[in-house]
Amino acid sequence: MMKKLFVLIMLCMMMLPSLLFAQGTLNVYTIMPEKYATLVFSAFTADTGIKVNFIRLSSGEALARIVAEKKNPQVDCLWGGPADTYEAGVLEGVFEQYKPKEADLVPAKFRSANNYWTGIGVIPLVFMSNAKFLKEKGLNPPTSWEDLLNPAYKNALQMADARTSGTATERIYTLVKVYGEDGAFAYQKKLHQNIQLYTKSGAGGAMPIATGQAGSGVFYIVDALDIQQQGYDVVLSYPKEGVTYGVEASGILKGAKNLDAAKKLMDWASTKRLGEVMVAQKINYIPTRPDVKVTNPALDMSKVKLIDTDIEWKGKNRQGYVERWINDVIQQ
Amino acid sequence: MTKKQEHQEKSILIKKDPALFSALAAVWISLAVFIFLPLLKLLWATFFINGSFSFANLEKILRKPYNVKAFWNSIILATSVSISGTFIGYFFALAVTRTTWPKILKWFLGAVSILPLISPPFTSSISLTLALGPNGMLLKAFGIKNLNFYGFWGTWFSETLTYFPVAFMVLTAILSTMDANLDDAALSLGASRGRMFRTVTIPLSMPGISNSLLLLFGSSLADFATPLILGGHTFPVLPTQAYLQITGMYDLRGGSSLSFLLLIPALLVYLFQRYLIGKKSYVSITGKSGARSEFARLPVALTIIVLVMTLFISIFILYLYFIILWGSFVAVWSVNNTFTLEHYAYVFGHGSKAITDTLKIAVVSTILGSILAVVIGYVVQRKKFPGKRILEFSSMLNYALPGTVVGIAYILAFNEKPILLTGTMTILVAAYVFRYYATGIRSVVASLQQIDPALEEASMSLGADTTRTFLHVTIPLIIPAVLAGMRYLFIHCMTAISATIFLVSVRWTLLTTRILESMTELQFSQASAFSIVLIVLVFIADSIMMALMKLTTRKFGTSQEQIYGNTGA
Repeated sequence: MMKKLFVLIMLCMMMLPSLLFAQGTLNVYTIMPEKYATLVFSAFTADTGIKVNFIRLSSGEALARIVAEKKNPQVDCLWGGPADTYEAGVLEGVFEQYKPKEADLVPAKFRSANNYWTGIGVIPLVFMSNAKFLKEKGLNPPTSWEDLLNPAYKNALQMADARTSGTATERIYTLVKVYGEDGAFAYQKKLHQNIQLYTKSGAGGAMPIATGQAGSGVFYIVDALDIQQQGYDVVLSYPKEGVTYGVEASGILKGAKNLDAAKKLMDWASTKRLGEVMVAQKINYIPTRPDVKVTNPALDMSKVKLIDTDIEWKGKNRQGYVERWINDVIQQ
Repeated sequence: MTKKQEHQEKSILIKKDPALFSALAAVWISLAVFIFLPLLKLLWATFFINGSFSFANLEKILRKPYNVKAFWNSIILATSVSISGTFIGYFFALAVTRTTWPKILKWFLGAVSILPLISPPFTSSISLTLALGPNGMLLKAFGIKNLNFYGFWGTWFSETLTYFPVAFMVLTAILSTMDANLDDAALSLGASRGRMFRTVTIPLSMPGISNSLLLLFGSSLADFATPLILGGHTFPVLPTQAYLQITGMYDLRGGSSLSFLLLIPALLVYLFQRYLIGKKSYVSITGKSGARSEFARLPVALTIIVLVMTLFISIFILYLYFIILWGSFVAVWSVNNTFTLEHYAYVFGHGSKAITDTLKIAVVSTILGSILAVVIGYVVQRKKFPGKRILEFSSMLNYALPGTVVGIAYILAFNEKPILLTGTMTILVAAYVFRYYATGIRSVVASLQQIDPALEEASMSLGADTTRTFLHVTIPLIIPAVLAGMRYLFIHCMTAISATIFLVSVRWTLLTTRILESMTELQFSQASAFSIVLIVLVFIADSIMMALMKLTTRKFGTSQEQIYGNTGA
């Protein structure tokens, strides 16, 4: 009796997976938020007839998974997420080289030099503040990094934790470009005095600012605009010293089981069509194809000082900057 | 005491027992595959660099003062949570088992107290932040300014609220299976109710109390979601650090080294618990008792304290969940308060696959996990065989490890032949079963400690074999404990996230990951609606389980169901 029971249990548990991969489907890990990925992939399915199964993961989780699953990839593509994550993956040897059909029409700074990944959108950093908070404190929207050091912001800033968030490392890259490396960390030590909380995800502080729990913070434009579109009373502003921007990428995994479909997704993503879908669906990335017309005035970057950064430089310095951030800033 | 030793000697003699051996073999095989193999893979990643043994990873971790601080923080937090949670849980358990309050009030306490348990911990953390965080609603209402909620206090408070229901369940099972005749005996010998409480009730609760302390210590030690949201940067704990190391720094080695440090306190607490229960006998169900009487009530002063405390906590919890309920029905949280069902339409449209997947996985895991828990708990408590302690300890290993690490270990172990499981339902079920059946094992063990082995030996000597005795004598006696474990297992399968966040796949997804997703995507309303749906589902499933339990206990005709039925929900 007991024996039979256990044979049964063991059989249930050891049941090997049925590897059912239907033709014309694609399995994807998306770092792009689910609500956007749903819209983008349904447009892709409408265009090509290829069905996309996906789950959303944070960039760190996605990379940890892809590396762990290296010998038996569970998905064919990685979609969205910062290009430096892709560069880290390239070092682990998890990406397949592929140059999408219209890749040449995407500026070189938005593509991998060795065709491991292709940029699908650009997102600069921006300050987002609660309008009521600014009014109560009698402040203007911050227009300089120095403004955030004002004691009026004491215990009112929420921004991302560099250990988990690409938004936070982007912030550090900007500060290094603006103040130099030592200056950047000296600045952040001062900034630390005003921090209420470092959030684990880049967008984590956006809702608290929207609801007035915190006053102000630094975000990627896509998260900040999302809050504004939901109807919260927030103000977006750019620092005059400038901001760097993140490149959202896409790539094929080595050993992809649906390689043809994966290539079709990459081809599709390199065309104008992706940018047009994003504009139409109010997905607030700036398309990597310069020939896509952006209609949202908030994405008009002509008056914003954008600082170009080299993704290889980001990838190379990320770990060092994060360690220094832990040692100098949060442990002081 | 000599009597018990006699029993144990007899159990050695029953060694030639084929059922026991096949059960043991099956248990050891499943432990080897689902606990040892992943752990070895993980240790390999921690201690072997390019194929040769090295402490370099560990050394690198320990050299950072922040990590050492995290270690001590973890210990302090887990100790505080286990004490405060057990304390509150005991009060709740006393309220439902030792008072003559109206049934509806007891039901209310039981129903409210499982709310924190059946929602993912980060959900209650969020509503706690809205209530007590900076500029929080309660703070505004009471005019409190500059309360620093982030850090130890917030985390401790939230974890206590989240985990005390575990203590409540475990302690209720213990308190309700005690022999009420002992109360009568104490009182008729002239003891006051206060003295009876101190000298009868509390000592007999000890297996439950230490069991609950251990469970809560373990839960708090492994919880990463709450400190992640409420700990802030001033209060790092090990699971958060491990999680950050893995997901943020892409550093699997560093993360597994950090979590390796967690094993040390887990081991110490476990040994301490064994020492505590060790030699004492807590047998109170002997089969020899006469007519059963009612439990004596608590002393008046204690009753009042219990009433005030349980009601206050219950109302506060209701308030926190009202925030979530409110959030799920309004168009845009705190901006546009018009009533809408659109978030629920989203949940049942976009989220329907997550709902069905979660239910399937939870049901299968609960059934398999309970069977395993009963068998392991039974052989560990009742049988003598070599390697018993190792079996008991190793069966709990996945529970002591932070879920994030179990998740990563499972990927490492099951992503290549011969056991290729990534992307399947099996890997999710296995992760849940071998992680959360720990409560089941513990409650079975604690319950068996109260039951005199003579009952089973009577069955044996009347000619029944091990299997028959187990099914017809032991099981009916421990059913309240098994069900307490089953409920906990089911609830955890529905709400846990730390391990499975790494194991969900494009084919099998879970409600909790969808909630976390909605949370990080700033869809507070959808996250609330998902949480409400999840809570309702667990409530329904829980009621079905309680109904089933009533049916089975009536069939077996034990006397425990009338009291256990009072635990509510």
